[in-house]
Amino acid sequence: MTDLPASSAGSANSAGEQADGASARPMQERLVWLADHFKREWQIYVMLAPMIIWFLLFLYKPMYGLQIAFKDYSIFRGIVESPWVGLEHFETLFNNSQFLRAVKNTVIISALSLIFGFPVPIFLALMFNEILHALYRRTCQTIVYLPHFISTVIIAGIVITAFSPSAGIVNTIIGWIGIEPVYFLIKPEWFRPIFIGSGIWQEAGFSSIIFLAAIAGVNPSLYESAVVDGASRWQMMWKITIPSIMPTIIIMLIIRIGNLMEVGFELIILLYQPATYQTADVINTFIYRQGLQSGQYDLAAAAGLFNAVVAFVLVMAANSVSKRVSRTSLW
Amino acid sequence: MSAVVLKDMYKRFGAVQVVHGINLEVAAHEFVVLVGPSGCGKSTTLRMIAGLEEISEGILTIDGQTMNRIAPKDRDCAMVFQNYALYPHLNVAENIAFGLRIRRVKKDVIARSITEVAAILGLTEYLERRPADLSGGQRQRVAMGRAIVRHPKVFLFDEPLSNLDAKLRAQMRAEIRRLHNRLGVTSIYVTHDQIEAMTLADRIVVMNDGRIEQIGTPMDLFMNPVSTFVAGFIGSPPMNQFRGTLANDAEGASVTIGGGRISLPDTVPRDPGRDVIIGIRPEYVSLAAGEDTSPVSIKLDLVEPLGSEALLHAAIGEDPFIIKAETLGGVCHLSGLTEVHVPAEMVKVFDAETGRVLNQGPKR
Amino acid sequence: MQNMNLYSRGDRLFVRVNMVLIGLFTLSTLYPFIYIAAVSFSSGFAARAGLVVLSPVEVTLAAYGRVLSEPQFWNSYGNTFIYTIGGTLTSLVIIIPGAYALSRPQLLGRRFWNLMVAFTMWFHAGMIPFWLNIRDLGLLDSYFGIIIAFACNAFNIILLRNFFESIPSSFEEAARMDGANEFQVLWKVFVPLSKPAIATITLFCVVSRWNGFFWAMVLLNDEGKIPLQVYLRQTIATLSDDEEFSSTLIDAPYSVETVTAAIIVCSIIPVLCFYPFAQKYFNKGILLGGVKE
Repeated sequence: MTDLPASSAGSANSAGEQADGASARPMQERLVWLADHFKREWQIYVMLAPMIIWFLLFLYKPMYGLQIAFKDYSIFRGIVESPWVGLEHFETLFNNSQFLRAVKNTVIISALSLIFGFPVPIFLALMFNEILHALYRRTCQTIVYLPHFISTVIIAGIVITAFSPSAGIVNTIIGWIGIEPVYFLIKPEWFRPIFIGSGIWQEAGFSSIIFLAAIAGVNPSLYESAVVDGASRWQMMWKITIPSIMPTIIIMLIIRIGNLMEVGFELIILLYQPATYQTADVINTFIYRQGLQSGQYDLAAAAGLFNAVVAFVLVMAANSVSKRVSRTSLW
Repeated sequence: MSAVVLKDMYKRFGAVQVVHGINLEVAAHEFVVLVGPSGCGKSTTLRMIAGLEEISEGILTIDGQTMNRIAPKDRDCAMVFQNYALYPHLNVAENIAFGLRIRRVKKDVIARSITEVAAILGLTEYLERRPADLSGGQRQRVAMGRAIVRHPKVFLFDEPLSNLDAKLRAQMRAEIRRLHNRLGVTSIYVTHDQIEAMTLADRIVVMNDGRIEQIGTPMDLFMNPVSTFVAGFIGSPPMNQFRGTLANDAEGASVTIGGGRISLPDTVPRDPGRDVIIGIRPEYVSLAAGEDTSPVSIKLDLVEPLGSEALLHAAIGEDPFIIKAETLGGVCHLSGLTEVHVPAEMVKVFDAETGRVLNQGPKR
Repeated sequence: MQNMNLYSRGDRLFVRVNMVLIGLFTLSTLYPFIYIAAVSFSSGFAARAGLVVLSPVEVTLAAYGRVLSEPQFWNSYGNTFIYTIGGTLTSLVIIIPGAYALSRPQLLGRRFWNLMVAFTMWFHAGMIPFWLNIRDLGLLDSYFGIIIAFACNAFNIILLRNFFESIPSSFEEAARMDGANEFQVLWKVFVPLSKPAIATITLFCVVSRWNGFFWAMVLLNDEGKIPLQVYLRQTIATLSDDEEFSSTLIDAPYSVETVTAAIIVCSIIPVLCFYPFAQKYFNKGILLGGVKE
């Protein structure tokens, strides 16, 4: 590095300026400028390269592979050589009752998780905020954050053990009040409550962090002036805290709606059984069964593409709505 | 020989030009201060000298060598940043040694340099501390230590005192000047504070809107501002300015302000009817009539005692007029004031249109 | 927070009720762990009969004996450590310089590269093309495959890039005037200044590696390479499906339930050890996650 280096981090414009300036100049000068640039800035490109190569190899190359959704894919011919079949797989899918059921279940499970799961962390955050005893508060927070760090398999193991018909604690307890043991995990009507409940158990505590952070950002003098005005804690919670964190609440809600197509399918794979498919099977579990278990890669890829496109549209919509709401983009 | 020469230097960010052709020669061992309001391009100029900004056009030489395309590390400049840029994860000694370590200077040389610099700056006791455990003034000293330790050809200071409180600022100001007297390293110092500029500089460069307004010694700028901008920027409080029209009569050139006739010095060109702005320093208004003074009636509004002096907030007609007067241990004698006297020699006259001075005084 | 002495009577009641409610929620979060621990230390008979509620019944270490005597348990435990440590280090080695490069204003095509990273948060090819790609790259059934295939994710990169961008430019400029090159600026200035952000993404990486199961299950057939989570899943599945096993267990000192519980406990212990260190970064990390383009 003997030439001029970084034209400073302070001027965010400079890169753009150089680019602009360069494009106006003749080709030769532009090339000289580029050679010069790479000569003095090669190090950042060396730093960037592994990451970009990784993205190309592991995330963008599969996007190229998505073409099998429109092909009659055979393992022997490979992705490129397999013949095109147009929208055949999508027609198959939309005439397939299992796939339609999976779409319906995805939306229902997501929506129910949202309705029941979304408010819990907000309440938790509001309640934690009212606890004055620091040690008590910290202890409780430590415990409620913990399930977030537990693997899906363990969650499933706990659920299976706890809801086991003979040995599980749930049946033991309902036995005390005289109810016959229920084999919860093969009852379609119990699948969603169990799935959503375990989701809340796992994530509600940890999700409250973001709302606690928002509450911590409220100007304390608002509370002080309210105290002087004679407001009760309850009134302050409703008149100060909740309105203050409303932007955060709305943004989180929009993000959740944007992620509607993302259902925690790993837990579903671990918990569902053929007996509960009718309420439990979602798009990703359908893809997993059709693609990785039955080898219908092209059909499953088409289902995945459908899922990804819908998800993309939802996320983009959510992002633009939240931009309008908060004037800060989510990403 | 000039240590640092800036020739027709321009800086553009995209379509926006922020420095419009700067010409400046800084002599070896000189202490030059760039001063001006925020956004005037003074920091950008300094950063171009440092090599942190590319020079869009023009030539920069240091010790006769063209520096335009030389990396900052090879320009042999050291810079003190506004926020000091002390590495919080390193202690004082490590912070001072950072540049030497990067340059793979031998360990024993580094150790010796640290000791030496610490002694100069009075940091010997704090070498093991982290920046977070230091006071503002100590941090400032560490930042200077990091610059001194490399024995650079040029020191660059980018508003180094603006994060300190007023008292500490005055103290550090004196220390910086003492350090310069001792080390004699060519220094270029950027500030928006004209008091800092006045107290530190051998020469001051007043910048406005990407251009150099005036270059001169502190007293030169104070006594002979070339424009209304400099007149309004240098001095505290700044020069009072009044619009008026030149007139010629038997007693010489004059301007009538608020109904009162103010005589102008002989050096003002005879050009009756010309619209001008006259400038009167608050310090050069007398309470008593003297030789060649013009009486002016004022409406006194407020007296601000400062100790040995007081600031009188008054008005001539509608125009505000600030006067600095001696208190003589009390301000009672000032409270009923209705008339002051303006010595003709001390009145500056500027063209109303261009703002340039019409009666250039002798260099000081 | 203020002192409770200054509270009105109504407020004190409110605060106390609130404390009780939080306590109840906390206990209900904690209870499944207590229950599983209690089951793991109980006899197979007690567990099968549903006698375990809060504390172990007929205390025995039989289930642990069975779990710990299984060579495959130790093997997959070791594999999990390999995947966690190897995977996390790989992630950091790729993400830290990459995020630094993305934060540099002089990087040509900076917007493009950033968009390229961010786009993967919004759109992904899906399970099947990803799997086929891994297969085509010859990374099925390989330690390296698992480690490299999940090395980056856009969220962590953007989190770190945002943190780098928030560092005042004078730190970099000072280092540059002192003669540091890009690698030195990154390693000697940015990395030490970004400890909270790096700790946060390390935490995210470690947790997702330790808990990762789906892709390990799908990409690894070789029993010798599976991580703990996959082993746990297989054990639960085989134990509960295996009628014969269950019926021969009537007299055994352990049961499906106690063995499952014992594996769960063994797998949670490292998380519990890591947890206190990680905890102090939660708040910072999540706040850093308030990402922007």
